[in-house]
Amino acid sequence: MNHQYYLWMSYGATAIAMALELAILLARRARAKRMIEEERDLEAQD
Amino acid sequence: MNLFYFSSPATFYRLAGWMAPWFFALALLLGIAGMYYGFAVAPTDAVQGEVYRVIFIHVPAAWMSMFLYFVMAVYSGVSLSFNTRLGAMMARAIAPTGAMMTFVALWTGAFWGRPTWGTYWAWDARMTSELVLLFLYFGYIALSNAFDDPRRGDRAAALLALIGLVNLPIIYFSVHWWNTLHQGSSVKLTGTTMHVAMLTAMLLMTFSFWMYSIATALTRVRSIILERERRTRWVREL
Repeated sequence: MNHQYYLWMSYGATAIAMALELAILLARRARAKRMIEEERDLEAQD
Repeated sequence: MNLFYFSSPATFYRLAGWMAPWFFALALLLGIAGMYYGFAVAPTDAVQGEVYRVIFIHVPAAWMSMFLYFVMAVYSGVSLSFNTRLGAMMARAIAPTGAMMTFVALWTGAFWGRPTWGTYWAWDARMTSELVLLFLYFGYIALSNAFDDPRRGDRAAALLALIGLVNLPIIYFSVHWWNTLHQGSSVKLTGTTMHVAMLTAMLLMTFSFWMYSIATALTRVRSIILERERRTRWVREL
């Protein structure tokens, strides 16, 4: 295998890992906001 | 100015929200500059050829994996000593990024090792101690989420983080203490054996990874603050 394979496997995996981390961050933020909305709804019902 | 003002989750939530985009922008700019230097300016290595360019992400990721663990342990220590909420939240926010950096260091190391050493992996002291670091991050994340009461999880995980600190000097000095396949440091406080363009690319990528780590930790800690403080008035009024 030539050097391009090793470079793509390294840089590509790093880019995927970072993109995945950012996607998880956004999903967690959306979940946190949903939890706050649920708290607001519960408070409104009381 | 009272520094304790920023230790309040409500204040830090807003401060982190203001800072994170700037750190993301800096990471992107430094990353572009680092890639340009790494692929367009830095010359081909006389011995390793083009494949040596893996070091422009391997070395910064390895440095950040250790640095982030140290910062996480400091936050854990502060949180345990002074019972601060924000310290524990910051430690939790750093751990996933630290684990990701450790994984990148191991993965890219394997894809550098194959063409240069003839193997993806060896149970060499440097590689094994870096793998132990990855397991420490996994252990920290698992332990911090293993309790219904997050404060108990914070304390248990903080202890693990502090105990795991002993692994950092082992990683750093492993190439001196044992006869390893992994080579010694090319960059020292006393100087470097690297070509200036190679060193520039590596340092630019290191600062890029550093800024990225700060940005992701700040973004994550904002979610953690929202999750934990969701019953407080200031969060409901957001």
